[in-house]
Amino acid sequence: MDAGKRNIAFPIIANYNCIVKFFIEKGMDLNYIEQPKMTRRTLDVGTKYSPDYVCAPFKSTLGSMIDALEAGADTLIMTMGLCRLGYYGELQEQILRDLGYEFEMINLASYTTGNVKDYYKAIRRLNPKISLSRFTKAALIGLKMLEYIDEIEALYYRNCGFEVNKGEYRKAYEDFLMAMDMVNGRKDIERQYRKTRNAFREIRLDKPDHPIRVGVIGEYFTVMDDFSNLGLEQMLADMGVEVHRWMNPTNRNLHYKGQKNLGVQISEYSRFEMGPTSTANIWCAKNYAENGFDGLIHVKSAGCTPEIDIMPVLENISRDYKIPILYLTYDSQTSDTGLQTRVEAFNDMLRMRRAAI
Amino acid sequence: MSKKISIFAREDREITVGLPRALLYHRYEILWKSFFSELGVQCVTSPRTNKAIIDRGIERSIDETCLSTKIYMGHVDALIGKCDYILIPRISNFGIRRFMCTKFEALYDMTGNVFRGSGQKFLAYDIDVVKKTGEEKAMIAMAEAMGFSRKEGKNAYKAAKRFENDDWKRKVREEERKLRTDQIKIMVAGHSYITEDEYVGKPVIRMLEEMGVTPIIADRIDRKEAIRQSARISPTIKWEMSRELMGSIQIRRNKIDGVILLSAYPCGPDSMVNEMIIRKFRGLPIQTIVLDTQEGMAGLETRLESFTDVLKLQRGEL
Repeated sequence: MDAGKRNIAFPIIANYNCIVKFFIEKGMDLNYIEQPKMTRRTLDVGTKYSPDYVCAPFKSTLGSMIDALEAGADTLIMTMGLCRLGYYGELQEQILRDLGYEFEMINLASYTTGNVKDYYKAIRRLNPKISLSRFTKAALIGLKMLEYIDEIEALYYRNCGFEVNKGEYRKAYEDFLMAMDMVNGRKDIERQYRKTRNAFREIRLDKPDHPIRVGVIGEYFTVMDDFSNLGLEQMLADMGVEVHRWMNPTNRNLHYKGQKNLGVQISEYSRFEMGPTSTANIWCAKNYAENGFDGLIHVKSAGCTPEIDIMPVLENISRDYKIPILYLTYDSQTSDTGLQTRVEAFNDMLRMRRAAI
Repeated sequence: MSKKISIFAREDREITVGLPRALLYHRYEILWKSFFSELGVQCVTSPRTNKAIIDRGIERSIDETCLSTKIYMGHVDALIGKCDYILIPRISNFGIRRFMCTKFEALYDMTGNVFRGSGQKFLAYDIDVVKKTGEEKAMIAMAEAMGFSRKEGKNAYKAAKRFENDDWKRKVREEERKLRTDQIKIMVAGHSYITEDEYVGKPVIRMLEEMGVTPIIADRIDRKEAIRQSARISPTIKWEMSRELMGSIQIRRNKIDGVILLSAYPCGPDSMVNEMIIRKFRGLPIQTIVLDTQEGMAGLETRLESFTDVLKLQRGEL
C-alpha cells in the first residue's frame, strides 16, 4: 500500500470486487481497500443503522461500507441505479456522517445528468492526474474480466451438481476467483481463464441426458450475490439440478439487447418497460419456459418494487406454459434452514412432475 | 368547447372512460376530466375507497405490494365491464432526476396482467420525458386511441391544461391562506393518493381538525419552487413527488409547528426519503405514521393527540 494515495473501497457485490480492485489499482493508480467478506455481523450492523423497511441490499451495502471504513478506507464509491438504488449513496453517506465517520464519498448518482461524459468528472475527482490511455486500457481489461467471471460462474453452476468426485468443481472455481483477485494484466487473465476452462473439462461428470433444469431469475443484486441469497444456486446444484441464470452484468449491461429487441418478444405480456430489469426478467422467464425448463425460481429482496410488480406477469407465464415458479423473498433475517426446506420441496415436486409426465 | 367534436362522439355512440379513484387520479383529476369532457367522452369514476374496495383489491394483488396499489386494484375491479376503456397511467419520468416510483412505470402492464381475460380495454396515459414523450403527446395519444383526430386531441388538451392550472393555483392559494391562522399547524406530508384517499388519509386529516389543528397539505405547493428547494437539501433524490414534499417542508418550515410524514406500507420512495427528511430537518418536530390495512383508529388517534400535545407544549399553550 503506497502512502499518500487515496484508499478507496466499494461495497461487496457478488464476485465482482476483483474487477473494481483491478480498475482502481491498475487504471487509476490508487489504493484499493478490500473489506472482509460479508458476515452476519455486516448485515446486523447495516440493518441496525438502516431505515426500517428499505430493501435488503441497502442494509448489506451499508454494512459493507462500515466494514470498509473500519479497514482503513478514506474514500467510498457508490453506484447509481434506476430504482431505489439511485438514492442509496446519498442516504448511506448521510447515515455514516451522522454516525461520525469521516471519509470522502464519490456518489455516481450525483454525476448522473444525462450526459455520459459527466462520469469522467467523478474519475477526475478521484485522481486528477489520471492518464486517459491507462484508464481506458484498464477499463477494457476490466470488462473482459467481467465476461470471463460470468462465463465461468455460469458453467460452474450448470455442471457442479453432477461431478463424480465431489469438490473438484468447487476447487477449480475457487482457484479461478482467487487468481482473478491477483491478476496483473490481460495475458494473466487469459491464462487463468483458459486454465480454468481446461480444469473444468477434465472433471468427470455423471450427468443424465435430460437433467432437471431450473432457471433462476429476479432482482439484479440478490440474484447474483450468493451471500444475500444464502447460496441458493449452490443449494440447487447440490440437489442435482442444472442451474441457469441469465441475469448478470455481462448479459444485462454489457451485451444487453435493449428494450426494443426484448420488449417485442414479450409483447403479449407487457406493452411498456415496467422497470429496470423487468423486461429482462419477463423475457428470461418466457424463454426458459419455451425451452422446456422444469421450473423457475424468482428471487428478490423484501420490498423490491420492480420485482413485485412483475409477479402478476410471471403468474400468467406460469399458467400459460404450465411451468412451476417458486417465489423467494429475502430480508435481513432469512435463515437458510427455512430456505433449504422450501427449495428441497420444490426440487422434489419437479422430480415427481417429471416422473408423472 | 368545440361543438363539432361532441357531436362526432355522440353520433357514433357515446364513449365512456373509467377513472379508478386511486393513485394518480388525485393528481390528474382535473386535467383528465376536463380533457374528456372537451372531447365529449363520458367519465365514470369508481366510488370513494371503502372496505369492500380494499378487500377486493387485496384479493387481486400480490401480498407484498404496497397498500396504495392494493387499493388501486380494488378500484379497477369496481370499474371492469362498466366502461369502454379504463384509463391507466404509465409514468416513467418527467426528465433526469424527476422519476416516478417504478410502480407507476409498471402500473399499466401490471393491471393488464392482473385483469387478463376480463375483456376490458385499457387506455394508457404514457409519459416518459427522457424518451421524449411528454404530457401533451400522452394526452393526444389517448385521444387518438379512442378514435379522435390529433387536432381534436390537441385542442382538448390545451383547454384541459388551462382548467388544471387555474384549479391548482386556487388550491395552492387556499393552502397559503390556511397557513395564516393562529391555530396549531401540522403539515401532512404524504403522496396525494394517501392524503386524499377517503379510507386512508382523510380520517387522519379529519382527526386533526377535530383536535383543533389546522392540517396543511404538503403537496399543494408551487411545484417548480418546491423541486428547486428539495435539490438544495438532497441533490440526488430522484422521485418527483418526494421532491415536492421535501421542498414543501423546506419552504414552509418556519410557518408550521410540526410535520406528519404519512405513508402507506411498504412505500419504496418513502422508506428512504422519510429517513432523509428526519435527518435533514433536525429541530422540526416530525412524526412518522405508516398506514396499513389495519382497522380500528384508536391507536392512531392516541398518537396524533400526543403529537399535538407536544406541539402545544412547545408553544406554551399546555
